[in-house]
Amino acid sequence: MDSNKKYWKGLEELQQTPAFMESNKGEFAEPIPVEDVLNEAGLSTRTPRRDFLKALGFGLGAVTLAACNRTPVHKAVPYVIKPEEVTPGIPNYYASSFNGQSVLVRTREGRPISLAANPNSIGLNQGTDATTAAVVLDLYDMSKLQNPQLDGKDVDWSTLDATVIDALNKAAAAGKQIAIVSNTVNSPSALAAIAAFVAKYPTAAHVQVDAVSYSGIIEANRTSFGKAVIPSYHLANANVVVSVAADFLGSWLAGEEHTQDYIQNRDYKSLKNGKMSRHIQFESGLSMTGSNADVRIAIKPSEEGAVLVSLYNAITGQSIAGGVSNKKAQTAIALAAKELTNNRGNAVVVAGSNDVNIQLLTNAINSALGAYGAIIDLDNYSKQYQGSDAAFQQFISAAAAGQIGAALFLNSNPVYDYFKAEDVTNALAKIDFTLSFADRADETASTLKAIAPASSFLESWGDASSKEGYFTIIQPTINPVFNTRQAEQSLLVWAGDNTNIYDFVRKNWEENILAGTGKSWNDVLQTGFIYKGSSVGSSYTANVDVNAVVTAIGAASKAVVGDFELKLYESTVMRDGRYANNAFLQELPDPVSKVTWDNYAALNPRDAEKLGLGENGKVTVEANGYTVELPVVWQPGQALGTVSIAVGYGRTKVGKAGNNVGQNAYPFARLVNGTVQFEAKATVAKAGGTYELAQTQTHHTIEGRNIVRETTFAKYLKDPNSESGRFADSHKTYDLWNKFESPGHKWVMAIDLNACTGCGSCIVACSVENNVPVVGRDEVRRRREMHWLRIDRYYTLEQEDGSKLTKEKEIAKATDYDYENVTVVHQPMLCQHCDHAPCETVCPVLATVHSSEGLNHMAYNRCFGTRYCANNCPYKVRRFNWFNYWNDSRFDNYLNSEFTQLVLNPDVTTRSRGVMEKCSMCIQRIQGGKLQAKMENRKLRDGDVKMACQEACSANAIIFGDVNDPESEVSKALRNERVYYVLEEINVQPNIGYMTKVRNTFEA
Amino acid sequence: MRNISSVLGRLAKSVSVGLVLFFAVTMAHAQDVKEGETLFKSKCTTCHSVTRNMVGPALAGMSERHSEEWLISWIHNSQAMIASGDEAAVQLFNDWNKLVMTSFTDLSDDQIKSIIAYVDAEEAKAAAGPAEGAAGGAAGAQSSDANTLMILGLLAIVVLAVIVIVVLNRVIRTLEKVIAGNQAAIEAAQAENEEYKEDRFGKFARAFVRNKKLVGFAVLMLVAFLGVWGWNTMWNVGVHTGYQPVQPIKFSHQIHAGVNQIECQYCHGGAFKSKNASIPSANVCMNCHNTVTAADHYDGETSPEIAKIYKALDYDPATREYGNNPKPIEWVRIHNLPDFAYFNHSQHVSVAGVECQTCHGPIETMEEVYQYSPLTMKWCVDCHKTTEVNTNNEYYDQLIEAHEKLKKGEKMTAAMIGGLECGKCHY
Repeated sequence: MDSNKKYWKGLEELQQTPAFMESNKGEFAEPIPVEDVLNEAGLSTRTPRRDFLKALGFGLGAVTLAACNRTPVHKAVPYVIKPEEVTPGIPNYYASSFNGQSVLVRTREGRPISLAANPNSIGLNQGTDATTAAVVLDLYDMSKLQNPQLDGKDVDWSTLDATVIDALNKAAAAGKQIAIVSNTVNSPSALAAIAAFVAKYPTAAHVQVDAVSYSGIIEANRTSFGKAVIPSYHLANANVVVSVAADFLGSWLAGEEHTQDYIQNRDYKSLKNGKMSRHIQFESGLSMTGSNADVRIAIKPSEEGAVLVSLYNAITGQSIAGGVSNKKAQTAIALAAKELTNNRGNAVVVAGSNDVNIQLLTNAINSALGAYGAIIDLDNYSKQYQGSDAAFQQFISAAAAGQIGAALFLNSNPVYDYFKAEDVTNALAKIDFTLSFADRADETASTLKAIAPASSFLESWGDASSKEGYFTIIQPTINPVFNTRQAEQSLLVWAGDNTNIYDFVRKNWEENILAGTGKSWNDVLQTGFIYKGSSVGSSYTANVDVNAVVTAIGAASKAVVGDFELKLYESTVMRDGRYANNAFLQELPDPVSKVTWDNYAALNPRDAEKLGLGENGKVTVEANGYTVELPVVWQPGQALGTVSIAVGYGRTKVGKAGNNVGQNAYPFARLVNGTVQFEAKATVAKAGGTYELAQTQTHHTIEGRNIVRETTFAKYLKDPNSESGRFADSHKTYDLWNKFESPGHKWVMAIDLNACTGCGSCIVACSVENNVPVVGRDEVRRRREMHWLRIDRYYTLEQEDGSKLTKEKEIAKATDYDYENVTVVHQPMLCQHCDHAPCETVCPVLATVHSSEGLNHMAYNRCFGTRYCANNCPYKVRRFNWFNYWNDSRFDNYLNSEFTQLVLNPDVTTRSRGVMEKCSMCIQRIQGGKLQAKMENRKLRDGDVKMACQEACSANAIIFGDVNDPESEVSKALRNERVYYVLEEINVQPNIGYMTKVRNTFEA
Repeated sequence: MRNISSVLGRLAKSVSVGLVLFFAVTMAHAQDVKEGETLFKSKCTTCHSVTRNMVGPALAGMSERHSEEWLISWIHNSQAMIASGDEAAVQLFNDWNKLVMTSFTDLSDDQIKSIIAYVDAEEAKAAAGPAEGAAGGAAGAQSSDANTLMILGLLAIVVLAVIVIVVLNRVIRTLEKVIAGNQAAIEAAQAENEEYKEDRFGKFARAFVRNKKLVGFAVLMLVAFLGVWGWNTMWNVGVHTGYQPVQPIKFSHQIHAGVNQIECQYCHGGAFKSKNASIPSANVCMNCHNTVTAADHYDGETSPEIAKIYKALDYDPATREYGNNPKPIEWVRIHNLPDFAYFNHSQHVSVAGVECQTCHGPIETMEEVYQYSPLTMKWCVDCHKTTEVNTNNEYYDQLIEAHEKLKKGEKMTAAMIGGLECGKCHY
């Protein structure tokens, strides 16, 4: 069946540029120079025969010598005294939490190897974000400090303690302030430790500041509700979501929790009930959330406020001046307002801006829509971002005035992430004693007097409270590897309290959290969390002086208007830059641009053309007196006249993997009305030179074959089968091969394209589970990334009237197209475990064969690397090991030492050079699950075996199971009318079913 | 009811024991020591030795230190005695870190007397020990005599050898003189002899080369021999059947699993629940070797091999305290599978019910463990092809059903349910 649309992964594919055609001519990016060797020229060069003989002789000699080695003697060293709970070979799970999410840490022989969501928790209980999936690597990071430091020299803790206490006493005696500067601290025990510290040193004060600030929302809520908090958003109750520049599925507030809720109204179960929410996005750069929107309107950063004003007018029927003049936006707003008012009580508007006035106006709109209560919950409010830009301003001015005697930095790195770094450095120079709790000598810590390295959360006792009434425990899963001490313990020691941190945390829980709940400390260690909040928030009415707010918005947005408007954003992958040394995250492609290992200036292709930029061009971006040179990404969907740059890159003192990756964009930020804002007027000019980004978007291209199926909600309601284009429905198939019997289990997967947001945490979870190597920027440029699972992102062009450009001829005609309106489909692509797998028939050594459980096995030790299988795979999911990535010093940003290798999953082999690999359907988990069932003398139950990618998906887009069990979730999912198989027409009989993408567009 | 019956049962038991004891005691006093030995070994050895301090004090001299009545009452219920404020009892309790001794209310007075008799007898033997030691000293002297004898003997042999050499030299010189006299005759004879020799060999070689069939056959044999030898050698590269490295501790499975019949699972618990069979940690050894020191085989000293466990744990058997410097025992791994082969013990041991001996051989007779099976893939596959699946497990129900439909009546081997597929062991 022909596709109804033209899908393309990158502009080079759409325009069929010569370079693209060239690189996609062969199966492999770099062909082996067989011809050069075989043709006359190759043989008639001066010394090929002698070189050959030399090489042969040397090789033979080397092999002979190597073969003379005696078999090495292996030692087997048992525990001296085995801990009771450890059985070598069997993982132990501990309930803990990370970034406020309750997680289960899997440990093997006492070392943590992966994190997964705690399925019994409330809130986000399925899936994790990419950071959570990757963070276990940070425990084994060699760039961390191994001892406390004073003036850059290693000291022991007693020396450091004496120095610190002396300095604190001096500051207290002089009546100077002592500041604890941190990012948001919501841990009750950490707050108790800080309180104990403040009690000992009464001049001490706690300043919270976040790199990416949300103080705009806090201040707005203080004004409109008298509650200075960030609400929780329950998007499961929203039928209509309008977002103005909020990447709420990605980096905005609790992205993964929003995803879990949001998808409940859009996945196959909801569609089965004939229900699907509508999502309208207004934004300048194409964010991951925007790529999932039903309708997306490109606007300039200066128009954000105006859009909200128009929306407010349309909803309330008022006509306050200052609305948006952009025509496309006006149409969309009219339609959106109709949708919103029709769904009063089930509709919500979110705004990503950190401007207090914009947030006030949003509050007024939501109040008019009746969103407070069921959707926006101010009672069980979020405590994840409590930083105050104003408080940090005060700290800096106090320090500059010499009023601060000592400053302690906890999870705070203002020299890197504050927009005016020199203000911070100047202020720090005036403080008598400065100390950081950073685990490494980062940009801030390295300029301070002392570093008291804090242990990783995997080595610490602690807790978190990401939501009012919701408390999660942090328990250690390993002893501190280096000579580190958790910050809470240090604060207690300096406060003269020698309580062990375990006793302190436990006492705090028993006295303040568990009291009255009937639960004991041991219960919490087992369950990992406790929830004391109410189930639904109560209703609130916003008290906003709309006219004054609109005037202020109008004034503020004028300052942003210019030839180019700059929008900074937090990328879903790198976030605020805290985990920049995590190689798994650096190599995870951005969900939209598919760029790895760099940040970039995203420009609309038309703007890029106007600037005269060629391929791999660079631009100089200037704003707020800060100039930086960045490579350009021609980003479809980017609003004309705007440029987007991700923060979180350009770290200089974070470690081997993350140093000097990209450019720091924080200095572009501005302080407006007391909050740090990410929009600015900018000038963009072409810069000299070229820079090739490691972008995976056109790697493994599918050559225009029809593999994405998409329909609209209206069509779906009429015919659930619409556009699924199942080949088997209209064709009879003939088989060359015998049918493959799977009498026991048959493992299959169902992937819901409507649920997948493209976030990529599955990719990281897969890499962690299967020891998939990180290859680094240069190798990604050579198309050698090793990810077993990739997420293909396809664009389609949309015309002004909302219809889509279909025929290729029309696209050719649309040369004046402005690329502002594109729609996006994310498609996870992994080994399809075909029953008639093309890879299996071409392997000369039978290294890849089919199993009776429907899996396509890959025996690494049998493979000798002809790469025929990769050549013959229609899905392009096979990966070749060009190096021994896990112990090659050239790849030292990955497993660079024996210590870092402890992160490897011991149940999965590390592949050596010259071997093919691909998704094994987590066969180690399947085998483990089966064995568990056999040991317990029972049948295997549905859900006993979960794939790593499935476990990491908060949208439940990946469903795995046994299709021979008709009651399994996957069997039910695959009976759905939307199911189709990719490239079904070539009759390779794939075992992974996809469900059509459904878009809830406005009906024409 | 149960209470009454158990009380009656206990009463009957004690009456019968009492009767037997009565007869035993009246029959012969000599029985005492033997009975005492049995009782001592079953009840006391966990904490006491006659000559050494263990958990409790050495018992030698106890009948001198305490009266018989005191001992009986102490053994029956030491805590009651301490509570009653008996001076000696309190003193003893305090001296031994207030360790509570188990109360043996089930021992009759006569039984305790037998134990005391046994201890006294052992004590007397131990006292004779030093005399034995003296005898040992004498033997030591004898052995040193033996050493000097041996040295003298060696010297004698050297002298003898020198004499023989000198004599032989004389003889050779005389013979050379004789030869010099007959030089010409000898040379002629030699020449003739050599010609004859070469002729015979040459003839044979020429005949051999001329016989093409024979040459062909020989070459064929040579090739076949080299081929077979090469084939075998190549096949056995990396196969370490019979590998028997020297271990840091001379641990004998023959004593533990063979003679003492200790279940494999007691030490290798992992084999039943995990992929690793796991070598027991030293604290498992200590469950028994806390008291089992094999001292009777080492003149009352702890066996040097068992002492290695103590050293690993930094344990001092005299003070019975653990130090802070434990060092793990580094065993030499015998069964080495390559990294790319996944093997899970519990699947084979617990699920399939395979005996340990099937792969590890007669482990209970091995003084030192060696690799019994080749651990090659062929060996794995051969077994999977012939071994019937242990279907006494609900997990297999569905598979059995499917299998019945496919192949009626045949037995279901591991191979038939995918036991030969690559991904079963390689991932």
